[in-house]
Amino acid sequence: MAAAGRADSSRDRPSPAEITALIPLVRRIVASRVPDRATADDLVQETLTRVLAASGRVEPGMLEPYAIVTARNVVASLWRDQDRQRRNQHRVVDLRPPEAPDEDVLVQEDRQAVAEALTRLTDRERATLLAHEVSGQDTRSLAAELGSTAGAVAAQLNRTRARLRVEYLLAVERTEPPTDRCRPVLLAISGGDRRRQREVDAARHLLECDLCARLSEPLMGRGRAREADVRVPVQSDADVVAARSAAREVASGVGFPPTDLTAIATAVSEVTRNIVKFADAGEVVIEVLEEPRRGIRIVARDVGPGIPDVDRALRDGYSTYDGLGLGLPGARRLMDEFAIVSEVGRGTTVTMTKWVGER
Amino acid sequence: MTSGPRLFSILRQGSILIASIHTALDDSQLERFREDLIDRIGRDRAKGVIIDVAALDVVDSFATRTLRGIAEMARLRGAQTVVVGIQPDVAFVIVQLGMDTGSLVTALDLEEGLTHLAATAGASIGPAR
Ligand SMILES: [Zn+2]
Repeated sequence: MAAAGRADSSRDRPSPAEITALIPLVRRIVASRVPDRATADDLVQETLTRVLAASGRVEPGMLEPYAIVTARNVVASLWRDQDRQRRNQHRVVDLRPPEAPDEDVLVQEDRQAVAEALTRLTDRERATLLAHEVSGQDTRSLAAELGSTAGAVAAQLNRTRARLRVEYLLAVERTEPPTDRCRPVLLAISGGDRRRQREVDAARHLLECDLCARLSEPLMGRGRAREADVRVPVQSDADVVAARSAAREVASGVGFPPTDLTAIATAVSEVTRNIVKFADAGEVVIEVLEEPRRGIRIVARDVGPGIPDVDRALRDGYSTYDGLGLGLPGARRLMDEFAIVSEVGRGTTVTMTKWVGER
Repeated sequence: MTSGPRLFSILRQGSILIASIHTALDDSQLERFREDLIDRIGRDRAKGVIIDVAALDVVDSFATRTLRGIAEMARLRGAQTVVVGIQPDVAFVIVQLGMDTGSLVTALDLEEGLTHLAATAGASIGPAR
């Protein structure tokens, strides 16, 4: 059980089992893009190696999106290499030119990108950041100047740095994000702000947006691992049992009475089954709540066809497959709070909460 | 799938089949349980079936419908079904789920289930007549 390595940093790391659990997903992504079996195997290996290497820096709930992003990148770099080889095949000369001259160009591009990113901050953000980072002014004296507190200035500086990283990457890419959601998502990731990541549904956006998927990789390294949510990737029937067992275990640790444990496990079973039945893949994230009192929040999220009429799906008797209901009305009755966000063609997110001692 | 611990067992006692679920089952395992049991009802010419669900962690809409389906199919093949071992928490949740369980005959435990079958189906664990 005690793997080699520092005990303190290994606590928040995903277990080998969690990494192993990613294999089917990674394999599917790679196999859908790379027909050759042996090559695909290599790429799956490489993806897992990268995910493992980065796992300590990735938010626990982000592991699956991160693996997806990495798998796509690994395949894309293979394509780039093949493309380069193909384009250069007819040349007879040695195709490896000295790399050195490029480096100057890179440094200059980098400087331009930083300058560009700075112009995208507000005057006040820029002034405060430069006063602190360049002139070395401390947060207390900055606070005095701005009529604020040192803590507020420090928080503002963190937000500004997060924005600067995002704007820098966009400037390097010489691109504007394709959707309104991109900047908020990238900011939440850059700031390592988990609550905000959840509010803007960052994990889902990464599954859908190629640009943010690509940019999230360098940004993700900034996030600090916090208290671990329990995450269960969902693809098959067996995962439904895994998800409900995990929810029961977490809820038991929170202090729910036995009847509530069964209610929670049953609600999880219902909503997780929908992922298996209707979507290709998804996940269930189980989170312990402390505020305003102890409770448990379960988010079941999928990338799938979505539910065209959520109100109707929440009515008893609604059925779409094999004469079986969606199980959503029942799940809603078992929990204290229940919300569905669904978009046709994109997917569904069910968020349900139960508080200790309610009713 | 073929190896590993058994997920359920189906034993014949006289004209009664006693089907015990040993652990939490996922949907496909539940479907396999249903198929195996229906198959055995025909082969063994059972008059009564007892399904012990005490080991099920969750009896959700799918499990309830599966149990109902088994009872209905068994009835069409001339056997009565009694579900035993539903835990109090599970019973409470089935009610909250709003599942229709009207057609399911239940009993507290195996012994009560056998008593019920003897009274209503004339089935017993004694030697088949
Ligand atoms: Zn985006």
